[in-house]
Amino acid sequence: MSFDHDTVTGFAKSFGLFYLIAMSIGVIVYAYWPANRKQFDHAAHSIISDDEDRPCP
Amino acid sequence: MFNFHYRLERNAMGLVLAIVVVASIGGLIEIAPLFTIDETVEDAPDMRVYTPLELAGRNIYIREGCYACHSQMIRTLRDEVERYGPYSLAVESKYDHPMLWGSKRTGPDIARLGGKYSNEWHVAHLYNPRDLVPESKMPAYRWLMRNSLKIGDLGEHLAAMRAVGVPYTDEMIANATADAYGQANPDSTQAAGVTARYGEATNVSLFDGKPETLTEMDAIVAYLQILGRLTDVAHKTEQASVE
Amino acid sequence: MIQGTWIIQRGGVGMVALLTALERTYAAIILVFVICVGVAMAVAGRGDLMAAHGWIVALFGMVVMAVLLRGIDAPEPWEERFREYYDDPTKVGIILALIWGVIGMFVGVWVAALLAWPDLTFDAAWASFGRLRPVHTSGVIFGFGGNALIATSFHVLQRTTRARLPDQLSPWFVLIGYNLFCVLAATGYLMGLTQSKEYAEPEWYADLWLVIVWVVYFLIYIRTLARRREPHIYVANWYYMAFILVVAILHIVNNLAVPVSIGHAKSYSLFSGVQDAMTQWWYGHNAVAFFLTAGFLGMLYYYLPKRAGRPIYSYRMSIISFWGITFMYMWAGSHHLHYTALPHWVQTLGMVFSLVLLVPSWASAGNALLTLNGAWHKVRDDAVLRFMMLAAIFYGIATFEGSFMAIRAVNSLSHYTDWTVGHVHAGALGWVAMITFGSLYALVPWMWKRPALYSARLVELHFWLALAGTVVYVFAMWNSGITQGLMWRTYDQNGTLAYSFIDTLVAMHPYYIARTVGGLLFLAGAVVAFYNIWMTISRPAPVDEGAAADLPVEPPAPRAWAQAGE
Repeated sequence: MSFDHDTVTGFAKSFGLFYLIAMSIGVIVYAYWPANRKQFDHAAHSIISDDEDRPCP
Repeated sequence: MFNFHYRLERNAMGLVLAIVVVASIGGLIEIAPLFTIDETVEDAPDMRVYTPLELAGRNIYIREGCYACHSQMIRTLRDEVERYGPYSLAVESKYDHPMLWGSKRTGPDIARLGGKYSNEWHVAHLYNPRDLVPESKMPAYRWLMRNSLKIGDLGEHLAAMRAVGVPYTDEMIANATADAYGQANPDSTQAAGVTARYGEATNVSLFDGKPETLTEMDAIVAYLQILGRLTDVAHKTEQASVE
Repeated sequence: MIQGTWIIQRGGVGMVALLTALERTYAAIILVFVICVGVAMAVAGRGDLMAAHGWIVALFGMVVMAVLLRGIDAPEPWEERFREYYDDPTKVGIILALIWGVIGMFVGVWVAALLAWPDLTFDAAWASFGRLRPVHTSGVIFGFGGNALIATSFHVLQRTTRARLPDQLSPWFVLIGYNLFCVLAATGYLMGLTQSKEYAEPEWYADLWLVIVWVVYFLIYIRTLARRREPHIYVANWYYMAFILVVAILHIVNNLAVPVSIGHAKSYSLFSGVQDAMTQWWYGHNAVAFFLTAGFLGMLYYYLPKRAGRPIYSYRMSIISFWGITFMYMWAGSHHLHYTALPHWVQTLGMVFSLVLLVPSWASAGNALLTLNGAWHKVRDDAVLRFMMLAAIFYGIATFEGSFMAIRAVNSLSHYTDWTVGHVHAGALGWVAMITFGSLYALVPWMWKRPALYSARLVELHFWLALAGTVVYVFAMWNSGITQGLMWRTYDQNGTLAYSFIDTLVAMHPYYIARTVGGLLFLAGAVVAFYNIWMTISRPAPVDEGAAADLPVEPPAPRAWAQAGE
């Protein structure tokens, strides 16, 4: 396979699209995966809990 | 306990890897093809490199931040071509390390400034722009007239440029200092070497009007006079339609 | 002021005393090394501007060494320190950010004035527009923004992981080392040292130094995350991490250059022409994305929910927008090169991704505003929270405008004009500075254990100065940019261009004055902020230590404004 300009741009144009779609699906699945819900809720609330301002021992 | 920590660390490193992969692929896909672009870029066999004096002038242009207000990139738009000249081609800046395309036109584009005005005009304009253009916003660069030009190390500059891909010959590098002096002093013995090495068309001239000293003004004017004239490929090729 | 000096002295010794003897020794070794490198630069760069920088490096090292030596004999810190977070670098970072902010904004007003009255250069090379402009841009982006990012990231990182920073030396190395980079950058521009790459102007040795600093910064993050006591990494840290990692990639690639010699400050960029242009704007646009957006979104996702006392509206949305921003920004840089010699397909790609980018951007802005939904009374009463809300609004405006301007046809009008400058400042003043001031106002009383800021009224004053300044500035630039863009392309009935370039420049003059006024208002606000925070710090801490420990995490609502609003 030769690395001339047309080949490289052709690859960039086609692969880029697949990569974009796969990546979007992956992120949405991760964000909405039911089992992840609990840890997301916990994380969202964790910063505003009124614990004292100290590191865990 | 060990497992617990191990899992935590792996997650953090996983996040790091994911960020790096996701972020770098975008840039890679877009930029990588540009490095094979030479195959598609216009050919300019007549193109010459910057002379040592012009390169010194270019470095002054960079030092003073001129690129913040002047672009050197005429876009493929009708009004720009009519105002400034043929639109810029990629090949025209192939020896520009770094490029100075610019991003803002507080002053006009100067991609094709070379030869448009006389040396005297440039000297007077740089000394105080408002003497010639009363409404101008450009700073007065009087110190360029006062500062003598540093030419002793220009050979090293040329060598560094060669290291990044500009075809300077050993002879050009060895004679860089003499050539810089000769280009600004047409009556000196060094002047002949400049045209021998950089071509008959090279602008050998008393740029700042003063023969005795080599000032930064000499260098910057020499640079401004070469803008758009390293090759005339843009004037020769049929320009595609502009928008 | 005498009181202030006393605080610096006491603070300096106190902060050194908290380092262990081993850390003090390492610090001394590093400083000796820095001083030696500075002297070596001064010797190698004889007759070149690098020598001046060598002396600056050496002097910088000596000043830090002097601070260190004052406390070098302090007794070993007690073990109790491990029960507290390590906040000294954050405190110093906040102050440095404010100092750089005032300097950077002052120079900004100066360069704005230079465009209205160009003779303010006074025939001094260092005071010319081209040399001062990067002092302004680097001063506000790297000095103000960067220090604020480092300071807040150390704070957020510890709170969200519930772990103390891994050691006490490396955060200082990052903070002080980073400021050495900023000093080299700013002094270099004044002397005429620049690579001419916008927002990446510092020369090769400063760039190398920043790489070292940045690696240590990254290691602090990773080491603290490895020690974390929360299983899930809070999303603010994702943004800070993206900021650190991607800025490292961008910085290294865009600054590849060959120095003239080891004794020359000047270098020649590895790339040329069209490749250099694409690399530069890939860097330039993503510096906006990962320095000025991702980092400050990290701030937003922590300080806004914290101050409002409400969790982020949708945590899932914040994850989706994070990956959207991380992925798509990287493609958008080429919209800076529409209609240039860059291949057409790359321009189109940049445009398309810039448009899609609006989705994750608005998801972030909407997420922030929806978090405040139901707490509008707090926004009304608390100017600090209002800073954050305004930041989210301006973030939404600026990202919409950015996507719009990336459309080729729009860009043909807007590019090279003041519209771009106006857009950048809508983001920089409206988004970056507002979220920073909001976060710092929230953070200062927590860090110095004060019940509240010195004056809530001054925060209120700052809010209105900042808003007025931003609006005046942005409207002036919209007007001047669109006017000039249209004048450039106007033809008369004979089919020739109607205006000379100078005609269009004359038309800019009133807007340049208005812009200077807008900038001056914003600068005045920053000075008020500096005074208010300084007074908060220098006011003695509450006398009763026991009572101080019982203070609520949340500072009480500022009373002065509550009354004024009724």
